[in-house]
Amino acid sequence: MNTTPRQRIGWGSANVIVVLIAAIPVLWLVSLSFKDPSTITDGSYYPHKWTWDNYSGIFDQPLFTHALVNSIAIALISTFFGVVLGAMAAYAIARLNFPGKRLLVASALLIAMFPPISLVNPMFNLWRTLGIFDTWVGLIIPYMTFSLPLSIYTLSAFFREIPWELERAAALDGATPLQAFRRVIIPLAAPGVFTTAILVFLYCWNDFVFAISLTSTNNARTVPAALAFFTGASQFEQPTGSIAAAAVVITIPVVIVVLLFQRRIVAGLTAGAVKG
Amino acid sequence: MRLGAVADPAIGTGRPRRALTERNRAERRLAWMLCAPAVAVMALVAIYPIVYAIYLSFQRYDLRFPGDKSWIGIDNYTTILSSTDLWWQAFGVTVLITVVSVAIELALGMAVAIVMHRAIFGRGVIRTSVLVPYGIVTVAAAFSWQYAWTPGTGYLAGLLSSTAAPLTHQWQAIPIIILAEVWKTTPFMALLLLAGLSLVPEELLRAAKVDGATAWQRFWRVMVPVMKPAILVALLFRTLDAFRIFDNIYILTQGSQNTRSVSILDYDQLFTALNLGVGSAMSVLIFLATALIAFGYIKGFGAAAPGQEVNR
Amino acid sequence: MALAALALATAAGCGSGQSSSGPVTLNWYIFPEFSGAFVKSAAACSQGSNGAYEIKIQTLPNAADGQRQQMVRRLAADDSSLDILGLDVTWTPEFAEAGWITPWPDDVAKRVENDTLRSMVDTATWKGRLYSAPFNTNTQLLWYRKDLVPNPPTTWKQMISMAEDLAKQGKPHYIEIQGAQYEGYTVWFNTLVSSAGGQIVSDDGQRVTLDQSAVQALDTIHELANSTAADPSIGNQMEDQTRLQFEAGRAAFELNYPYVYPSAKADVPDIFKNMAWTVYPTVKEGVPTHVTIGGIDLAVGAFSKHKQQAFDAIQCLRSPQNEIQNAVLGGLPPVLESVYSDPKFQKAYPMWKAIFTTLKQASVRPKTPAYQSVSLQISYTLSPPSSVSAKKLGTLRSRIEDAINSKGLVP
Repeated sequence: MNTTPRQRIGWGSANVIVVLIAAIPVLWLVSLSFKDPSTITDGSYYPHKWTWDNYSGIFDQPLFTHALVNSIAIALISTFFGVVLGAMAAYAIARLNFPGKRLLVASALLIAMFPPISLVNPMFNLWRTLGIFDTWVGLIIPYMTFSLPLSIYTLSAFFREIPWELERAAALDGATPLQAFRRVIIPLAAPGVFTTAILVFLYCWNDFVFAISLTSTNNARTVPAALAFFTGASQFEQPTGSIAAAAVVITIPVVIVVLLFQRRIVAGLTAGAVKG
Repeated sequence: MRLGAVADPAIGTGRPRRALTERNRAERRLAWMLCAPAVAVMALVAIYPIVYAIYLSFQRYDLRFPGDKSWIGIDNYTTILSSTDLWWQAFGVTVLITVVSVAIELALGMAVAIVMHRAIFGRGVIRTSVLVPYGIVTVAAAFSWQYAWTPGTGYLAGLLSSTAAPLTHQWQAIPIIILAEVWKTTPFMALLLLAGLSLVPEELLRAAKVDGATAWQRFWRVMVPVMKPAILVALLFRTLDAFRIFDNIYILTQGSQNTRSVSILDYDQLFTALNLGVGSAMSVLIFLATALIAFGYIKGFGAAAPGQEVNR
Repeated sequence: MALAALALATAAGCGSGQSSSGPVTLNWYIFPEFSGAFVKSAAACSQGSNGAYEIKIQTLPNAADGQRQQMVRRLAADDSSLDILGLDVTWTPEFAEAGWITPWPDDVAKRVENDTLRSMVDTATWKGRLYSAPFNTNTQLLWYRKDLVPNPPTTWKQMISMAEDLAKQGKPHYIEIQGAQYEGYTVWFNTLVSSAGGQIVSDDGQRVTLDQSAVQALDTIHELANSTAADPSIGNQMEDQTRLQFEAGRAAFELNYPYVYPSAKADVPDIFKNMAWTVYPTVKEGVPTHVTIGGIDLAVGAFSKHKQQAFDAIQCLRSPQNEIQNAVLGGLPPVLESVYSDPKFQKAYPMWKAIFTTLKQASVRPKTPAYQSVSLQISYTLSPPSSVSAKKLGTLRSRIEDAINSKGLVP
């Protein structure tokens, strides 16, 4: 489309506004995290007295370092299993004809609609009986489960778009089914799977309700849950600086993922949204 | 869970039905095998707690009085539904937050989608900055807003009134909650709309322009009708999510000053009062309300239902 | 499953093999204490037990609600890993009634009650039995500016009129009190009702006993909240906001816990040099004030496998030495009366006399298993403070009544 200089300026400034609005609350957390305790209540957007203390403070505490390791590992493992299970089901939904398909999709949606807080108590009891309370497995299982509707939907939308005839064409060219699958289908499916993995990862990384309810020690507690355990200088004082620093640390992976994979995430979020 | 990126899944309709051949039977077996692990996991982890919650909703079951446990029919439901100052108040707040934030998100999301669609430079930069609010941990973002509005600490605290803390007045706190919600989820809305936008044929817009249509007319008469399916899907998922708003309120106000959403009120019954009977009944009611919303969108507006065969 | 069973069997094997020789592990669930005083006393007690037990601290969340939730969820599932529980003073009836904590054996109970502040023992007792051992306590004092108020007030009426006079002169004049919709507001209301000679709920936790004294309490809140003496943001003030307002030089009076003193010393030396304290003002002239007591009681979990060792460990953790250490390092006032005459303690706590006087006649918040709901109803009904008047009494009574019987919803 041809644009006049005036339009160019208009769209350009719109871009700048969008970027600013997205960035201000995030940079505010960064600013708070660098503020010296004496200036934390000065209400200024910029730190007047800079310090690394909030960061060195949280990285000195096993509470935070363990939580960080837990967060990363649990999110990665849950993503892996969630996407594998989701891909299997999504393939069946997208490609195969079978009774119960509609029921499966509907119940996945219902699961996604139930208020998660009400599931926590029965799960807690079950987890204690099985001995997986406060373990990685204890969080991986719910994350995997409750991200399944997400991965099934996104993946089946992607799989619908794959030109499966190519598989048959490859077979006609003399490839074995396995070869055809490996050389033709996997490369076509990989982007969709990868995108879904990113979305599932962000879901696991974000969770608060399960993390706070199904953990009790550094064994499995993730960062969003660990924020509640930070302490101020006394029982009644707010640990603002530490919370801000920890919030920044858990935002960094999000920013990295977004920077590297923005194109894929956009593709994933929009996949099938409009394609009939 | 947040419905997150769930877009309308274009679910395969498969080939037309034929008599059951050996091949069909094999296909069916394979499909069931592939779905079995996902189904098993969902059944074990999700269905059991859901059924248990429904069962508890018909019991008097307060952890503090374990001796009183008994079957009481629908008493928990009548208790909740007759509580005007708590349940209906929270329900009203929830509906208000849902309607206002989804409406704002739709308008803003549309604007952001158009800006992204027309981005002339730095497509990557703008995409990244739109995705950061989407990806950031809700609790972290909520803390950012909370500190921003705390008198003494925050840069926004003096904005609404000079003397008091805005988060402690219902009519100031609710807009702040909506603001936090809108900031976090507009990107999701914008991206779904962007997908719809990319389907609008450029020639159609040009033709309309040649015919003398204003920009506003082109938007309403050309773009919106083409985008309708995308808009409905985006609205459906955002409404379902917004209705169950929890994290933001939990951090921002803990539900004080009548800023409770139904999920927060439910949390109070379950975890503070330890009244599992009433709390479970409330969960079921919230679930029914969300199901009703989904049903309304699908039947009322013709949004494509997940699993529905799409014929366009 | 088989694997899990095997793992359990192995673990059990190890456990039984060690019990004759090695120490048992006692999990101590307690709020996150920042100074490290608890870590020290836990280590010292473990060492002093001669291999009988090893105390392992399990940190609970910072906020009281979070602490209670974590413990309750485990106890509701009969968790045997909860050996020693740090309970807020208002939780003993709830935990005892639900069968989650073990009553103290009579002989040990006598030892615990001996020399312990009476009000603290009261918080730890339910239906005539001691269910937990008081560990530390806390209470509020009246902090004021010597430069603005030469003679501190003894009643709320005096204090409000002094503040109004200061306001007329354009001087800092606010009375800082906790009026936000949360537990601290209930603490204030309880103090006022008790000081007016009343009680919110009967001793057995069965009936609402709000009467004329409650009217006086409501009138006092009404009078303050609608005068120039009140901070305009009284409806959102918690402990820390009141501290910050006082430190910012906007207040003449502050009702708060002793932690504000070292904090002012570090933050604002100018204000600190004029900061003085006295006992909490009364509601009725001549009737002593009964300030609400706070603190932590230690209980033994009902499902613990090492109850005997846990009782022993708690007695060690609350020994006079450890109580002094908690006070000096962590700023937690002790529960043992004899400690208050210890010079080391008096040096660390210049306001010890006022605290001790207050504690000796302190009041206890409503004792009922449904306390949590009762408190939520009180702070909900009385919010914001400016709306409070004697007319609210009826609503308040019926809501507390419902809460006691776990009827209806909680706010």
